[in-house]
Amino acid sequence: MITDTGRLLLRTVSLTKIFRGDGVPVPAVRGVDLSLRQGEFAAITGPSGSGKSTLLHMLGGLEPPTGGEIWLNGERVDTLSQARWAIVRRRHIGFVFQFFNLVSNMTVADNVELAALMGGATRKQARARRAELLGELGLTAKADAAPARLSGGEQQRVALARAMANRPSLLLADEPTGNLDSAASMTVLRLLGQAHADGQAILLVTHDARVASGADRVISLFDGTVVDDASIPLIHPQASLPHVLKLRG
Amino acid sequence: MARWIRADLMASTGQAIAVAVVVAGVVTALLLSAGVLQGATNPWAGLFAATRGAQIWLHLAPGTNVRRLRSEVPGIVTVTAPYPATAATLVQPGQRTRVELRAMDAAPPAIGRPLRVSGRWLDRSEVNGVVLEATFAQAVHVAVGSTVTLENLDGTGGSRVRVIGLAETADQGFYPDQTPGLIWVLPALLRAIEPDPAHTEEVVGLQIADPDATGFVVQQVVTQLGSSSVGSVSTWQQVEQSMARRDPLLGLLLALFGLVALGAAVLAIVNVTAGRVLVQQAELGMLQTLGFTPAQVMVMLTAEHAILACAGIAVGLVAARLLTPLLLGSVPGVSPASAALPGRWAVLIVGGTFVAVVLATALPAWRAARLWPVAAVRAVPPRGHLSRLAATAMAARMPPAVVLGARAAFVRRMTAALTIVGLAVPMVMITIGLGFWATLDQVREHPADIGLAASVTVSPGPLTMGQAAALIGRDPDVLAAYRCVKATALVPGETTTITTLGMGTSADPYPFRVVQGHLYRAPEQAVATQALLTAFGARVGQFVQMDFGGVPVTFRIVGRIIDAQYDGEVLAYGIDTLADEGAPAPIGFYSLVLRRGVQPGAAMSRLLRMSGGRLDVEPVSDPADQLGVVDAALAALIVVLAFIALTSLLTASRVGNRDHQRDVQVLRAMGLTPAQLRTAVVVRTTVLAVLAVTIGAVIGRAASGFLISIVSQVYGLGAGLATPASAGTTAVAIALAAVSAALAAALTTRTQDRIPATVALGP
Amino acid sequence: MPVKGLLAGRIPAQRLERAGAMRMPLLALLAKEPAHGYELKTQLEQIFGEAYPSPNIGQIYVTLQRLERDGLVRSQDVVQTTRPNKRVYELTEAGHEALVAWMDRPSEGPRVRDDFFMKLALSQLAGTAVGIGLINRQRRHYLGQMRSLSVLAAASDGRIPRLLIEGAMLHLQADLDWLQRCQEELV
Repeated sequence: MITDTGRLLLRTVSLTKIFRGDGVPVPAVRGVDLSLRQGEFAAITGPSGSGKSTLLHMLGGLEPPTGGEIWLNGERVDTLSQARWAIVRRRHIGFVFQFFNLVSNMTVADNVELAALMGGATRKQARARRAELLGELGLTAKADAAPARLSGGEQQRVALARAMANRPSLLLADEPTGNLDSAASMTVLRLLGQAHADGQAILLVTHDARVASGADRVISLFDGTVVDDASIPLIHPQASLPHVLKLRG
Repeated sequence: MARWIRADLMASTGQAIAVAVVVAGVVTALLLSAGVLQGATNPWAGLFAATRGAQIWLHLAPGTNVRRLRSEVPGIVTVTAPYPATAATLVQPGQRTRVELRAMDAAPPAIGRPLRVSGRWLDRSEVNGVVLEATFAQAVHVAVGSTVTLENLDGTGGSRVRVIGLAETADQGFYPDQTPGLIWVLPALLRAIEPDPAHTEEVVGLQIADPDATGFVVQQVVTQLGSSSVGSVSTWQQVEQSMARRDPLLGLLLALFGLVALGAAVLAIVNVTAGRVLVQQAELGMLQTLGFTPAQVMVMLTAEHAILACAGIAVGLVAARLLTPLLLGSVPGVSPASAALPGRWAVLIVGGTFVAVVLATALPAWRAARLWPVAAVRAVPPRGHLSRLAATAMAARMPPAVVLGARAAFVRRMTAALTIVGLAVPMVMITIGLGFWATLDQVREHPADIGLAASVTVSPGPLTMGQAAALIGRDPDVLAAYRCVKATALVPGETTTITTLGMGTSADPYPFRVVQGHLYRAPEQAVATQALLTAFGARVGQFVQMDFGGVPVTFRIVGRIIDAQYDGEVLAYGIDTLADEGAPAPIGFYSLVLRRGVQPGAAMSRLLRMSGGRLDVEPVSDPADQLGVVDAALAALIVVLAFIALTSLLTASRVGNRDHQRDVQVLRAMGLTPAQLRTAVVVRTTVLAVLAVTIGAVIGRAASGFLISIVSQVYGLGAGLATPASAGTTAVAIALAAVSAALAAALTTRTQDRIPATVALGP
Repeated sequence: MPVKGLLAGRIPAQRLERAGAMRMPLLALLAKEPAHGYELKTQLEQIFGEAYPSPNIGQIYVTLQRLERDGLVRSQDVVQTTRPNKRVYELTEAGHEALVAWMDRPSEGPRVRDDFFMKLALSQLAGTAVGIGLINRQRRHYLGQMRSLSVLAAASDGRIPRLLIEGAMLHLQADLDWLQRCQEELV
C-alpha cells in the first residue's frame, strides 16, 4: 500500500515543552524542528532525559505543547482539542508507549481487535487484521491471555500490533524493543521493516542501534534540542568487515 | 504499625470517612428501629420510669382519710397527696368532649410526676393555664397556646382557659383507649369551674414495693377505706395493657423491616470495607515488601477499619439518641419520652456492627495479605472478552464509550454481583415501603375502603332520636344518615362480650365495603370482618350465634367486610334484626355520610349550631392515623436504605475507577476522546445501578403486594387492600438511581484527561 | 615495556609511543601554535593525563622528526642567549590537510576507541561545536556499519556467521552507548 511517498507527512516548527512543576520549570523539549515524509522511517536517539518521550507524546497529541507548531498532512494540529486529536489518532496515528500499553481487562487479541474496530474496520476485517498481526509477531498462542499474564516484552509486541491494527499513516513508538531479548527484537524489526516497505511512516524512539539502523534517518536529541539529523550512510559491508569481523573473503 | 494506619487514613480520608459514615448510618438505623419498636409497642415501661409512677391509682370520695394507708396496708411505699378532680366537658368549636380535671400544684409532685413534652407546667402566675395530657391533646387537636372552654358537668359553670403545656403520664392509658381525657389545672381553677365539693373526687396514687402483689394490695386498700369511698381503681397492668399496641402487626412490620435493614446494612458494610481492601491491595503488597508479615498486614488493616467502626458507632449512638424522640414525637398516639434507648438491644446492635466490620475487613484482608507481594502490586482485573455482543455493537458504530463502559461493568463478576445485590436489596425494601405508603394514602383518601363511609356520628344527647333525625335531615351536607346501634352480645361458651353493630336497616344497609359475598339484605343476615370470622372459626355462608341480653340470635354471614374498629372484629347487621328477635334495644346513634368534598369539621359545627349544642357530634376516628408510626418508620428507613445504597454505589464506582485509571493512556492513544472516556466511566456504574434498581423494584413490587395482604390479614382487614406503589413512583425511583449513579461516577473520577501521558506509573 | 601511569595494568591502554599513535595528536597541538618538544610533552600530559602513560620525550622527538621527513611539519632553531638552542616545530600546509582529513574521517579499526577519544580530547581545544560534529559523524558511521551488518546477517545462512555478526553488533551498540556518554560528559 504505497501511498504518495515523498510528500511531507509531519512537520514541526520550533516545538517546545516546558514542564512547570512546583519549583523550577523544566524545559523538556526546546525548539525542535523536524519533518517526516510519507513512508519515511526515522529513529530518535538520545540519552534519557533528552526529551525523546515528551517529543513523541506531543506528536501524538497526548501532551499539549508549550510552544511551536505541529503540522500533520498539511494541517495544523497542535491547537486541536483533545476530542479532535482523539479522532485524528483513531484513523491516522498508532502509538506504542513504554509502559501500560494495553487495556488491562481485555484479552490480548481483543486489544488488537478493538483498535481495528475503532479505526473503522468491519468485524471481519478487524478479525483478519488481528490474526495477521498476531501471527507476524508470533503471539497467536497467547491471543486469549490477559495482558497481565504476558511478560513485558510480549506486551510490547502486542502493543505494536495494536498500534498498527488501524493501519495508521504514522506510527509513533517509544522504545518498542526496550524490554526485548534479541530474538524478540528481530521479530519487531522485521515487522517494522515490513510496515516500512508497505509505505508506513514510522517515527520511533530507541536505544537499540540495530533498530535505529533500520531507519532511513536518525535524529539525535540532546537536552531537548536536535543535535544531529542525518541519513545513515551506506557502507559497503566488505569495507567495514575487516575491522569488525574476522572473516575470510 | 500505628504510623502506617495514620498515614493511610490521612491519604484516603474520603474513603475512610465513607466507611465511618456507613457504619454510623447503619447503627443509627438499627437503633432507631429498635427504639421505635420498643417505643411503639410498649411505651409504658419507659414512661413509668420517667414519671416515677405509682402502680395504683384510686378515685376516692372527697374527704377519705388516706393517712393511715401506709401503716395499715403492707407493701405500700408511698401515698401521694390527694389531688382534687372532677369530671368536666371540653368545649371546642364543633366538639364537646368529656374530660377529667385534676388539680395539681405548680410544683410537680415527686411520685407520678407528669412528663412535660411541650410548653410548660402549671404556673401560679397564670391561673387559667392548663396542661393537657399529650395523647388526648393530639386526639382533639388542641395545641399549646390555644384557648378552649371548660364546663362543669351540669353545664352551670365554666371557664375559658389557655393551654400552656402538654405532658405525659403513666397514670392512665392513652386516649382514646382510656377515657376521659386528662387535664391538669391549678386547684384554684378547679374550684372556679366546679365549686361544688360533692362533685369532686380525690385522686390518690399508691407506690408499692412489689408490683406483682398489686391485686392483693388493692383488695386490702379497698377493705381498709371502705368500698363506698372508692370510686374507681386503676392498676398499672391495666395502663400497660392499654398502652401496649394490641396489634402484633406493628411489631411484625417493624421487626421485618429491621431484619431486612440489617441485611442491607451488613451488605453495605461488606461492600464498603471489602471494596476498600481491594483498592488497597497494591499497598498491601508494598507493605509485605517492606518486611511486614501477612499476619501483621492483616492486623493493621483490620485495626484501621476497627477504628473507623468505633468512630462510626459513636456517631451512630449519638444520632440515634437525638433522633428517636423526634421520630416518635411526630407520631400520634405514641409518647416520645417513652423511647429510652433499649439497653440490651443497643449492646447487641453495637456489638454486632463492630463484629461485622471486623469480619468484613479481616477476611478479604487475609486473602489479600496472603498474595505474594508482586502479585498484589500487579493486582489487575481478571481478563474479560470483548464479547461478541460488544464487538458487534462497536462494528455497528454504536458509541464506543457506551460499549466499553457497559462491558467494563461486568468484567469483575464478583464485584458486579455484590454491587447489584447491594443495590437491589435496599431497592426492594424501598419499593415495599413505597407500596405501604401508597396503600396508606389510599386508605386515607378512601376511608370507605376500610369501612369508614361515614365520617360523623351523632348521638341525640338530650334530644330524642326523632328530633335528631329531623335536624340531620335539614343539613344540606348530609348525603345519608343511617340509624345505628351498638349492641353488646355475649359469645356463647366464653365469658367475654363483643360489641356488634346494627348499621342501617336490612332494607337500607350501611354502605360497608364488601370484599366477598354481599351486604345483609334481610333480618338475621350479617356481614363480618375476617378477624371476627377467624375468632368464631366461621366462613362466609356459615352461621354464628350470640346472646343479646339473654336473647339468643343466630346470624348467617353473607359477606366479608373490611373494618378497623374493635380490633378489626366487627359484626354488622340491620337493626331490624334485633327488633325482630326481641332483643333489648340498645343506644342508638346516627352515622352520617357527608357529601363528597365536605370537611367533617364544618359539618359538625353546623350541626352543633343548628341543634343549639345539644346534639352530641363526634368525628369517626380514623384508624389510619394509628398507622402513623409506620409512616414515620417507613420514611426513616427509606432514607437510610437510600443512603446505604448510595455508599454501595460509591464503592463500586471507586473500584471500577481504579481499574480504569490504568487503561486511560492506552484508550486515549486508541483515539477515545476525553468525553468518551468520561462517558465510559459513567456508563459502567450507571448500567449496574439501573440493572440492580430495576431488579429490586420488580421484586419489591411483587413482595409488597404479598406483604400488605399478610399485614392486613393480621390487622383484621382481610385481603384486597393492597395498592402497590404507582408505576410513576417506581419509574422516578429508577431514574433517581440512574442519575445518582451517573453523578457518583462523575464525581469520583478525577480529571483523568489532565494527566500527562508521560507520567510513567512504573512497570 | 612496562606501562606506567594510573591505569597501568587495568586497561590495556595504548601507548602513545606506538608507531604513529602520537602523530596526529602532535599535529593537532601544533595546529594551535608552534611549539618545541618539551612544550608538546607537557601539553600531551595535560590533555591525556591519566588516560595514557606519560609520553617519552625521546619518542616525541622521533615522531617529530618523522613528521618533518613526511613534510607535515617543519622545524626551526631558535637562538637563545642563556640556554642551549631549542628546536621549534610548526605545522605545514600538508600537515594541516592531514590533520583535517584525520578529524573528518570516522574512526575505525582495532584502535577505534582510542583514535576517537584522542580526536575528542584534542577537539576540546577548538571548542564544543567541533566536538558535537565529531560525535555525530562517528555515530553515523557506527550506524552505517550496523546497517551493513544487518544486511549481512539477513543474507547469511548458518548460525556461526550470524553469531559472529551478532557479537559485532553488540560491540557496536556498546560503542554507540559510549559515544552518548562522551557527549554527555565532554560536550
